[in-house]
Amino acid sequence: MSRYDWLLFLHVIAAFATVASVVVLAGLLGATWRVSAPGDAMPLLRLSRLAEMLWNVGGAGVLILGVWLAVDVDGYGLADGWIVAAFVLWVVAGASGGMVGRGYRDALAGGRAGGTATLASTIRSSRSLLLHGVMAVAVAALLVVMIWKPGAA
Amino acid sequence: MTLLIRPDDWNLPLFVHVAGAMVLLGALLLAAVVLAGVGRAGEPTQVVTLTRFGFRTLLAAALPAFVVMRVGAEWIASEEDLDDEPWIGVGYITSDGGLVFLVAAIIVAGLSLRRARKGGRPASLARAAAILSFVIIAAFLVAVWAMTTKPD
Repeated sequence: MSRYDWLLFLHVIAAFATVASVVVLAGLLGATWRVSAPGDAMPLLRLSRLAEMLWNVGGAGVLILGVWLAVDVDGYGLADGWIVAAFVLWVVAGASGGMVGRGYRDALAGGRAGGTATLASTIRSSRSLLLHGVMAVAVAALLVVMIWKPGAA
Repeated sequence: MTLLIRPDDWNLPLFVHVAGAMVLLGALLLAAVVLAGVGRAGEPTQVVTLTRFGFRTLLAAALPAFVVMRVGAEWIASEEDLDDEPWIGVGYITSDGGLVFLVAAIIVAGLSLRRARKGGRPASLARAAAILSFVIIAAFLVAVWAMTTKPD
């Protein structure tokens, strides 16, 4: 396998991890929204660490390997419009995902302390729904940009 | 390395295929981790909650994502006219085998949920469903390698 093959394979695997992070968070949102007893939400909330780990590894991998590919491949440049758009979308997804993750951590801490109000204010809220949506749309848009490469020669 | 630009007509089917595959792997990973953790849950209600969540993730997320991934695969393969390439064969083998394992994992997770609802001990069945899911993940990672590197 050439260096390009390795970079592309690892870049795509990292992208899979970032999408997996969104899938895990979407699943947790749906599951914790319906749970009636706060105690039952605790094992679900702990799974947010999986999403956080997937985003940390996948997000960093996508960025580093993506920059490496852009520099390594003739015809691509870091100032290309579609690559700049990808950077912006990555930042949007990371920022919204970071706030989502903080909400789960707060809910987990509140649940351990025996409180039920934290879950309602951090996860079962319109703000949380919006942040999950922004992250999912940004990651989906990243995939669109990577495949269509608008403006590429 | 010089870049290769694919025809625009291939972008939509490729997007459908890749997006389906990404959601599929995410759903499989989530289900596997949830079902593997059933044995560590303390309260019986937590056991039911986790088992139900794992089962539903496989049934309502992984299976539809598999269909999307497979439809996208057939679509892009017909656009590219690539039936004879060896790496396509890797995709078909892992896809067909993965479907068998996925259906098996859904059935086992469903049995686990039924046992949990009856107050039984579903951990061994849930663990079996988790192992099946991890096997599919491993096979699909090989498929991702074949799809991206396209070995001869």
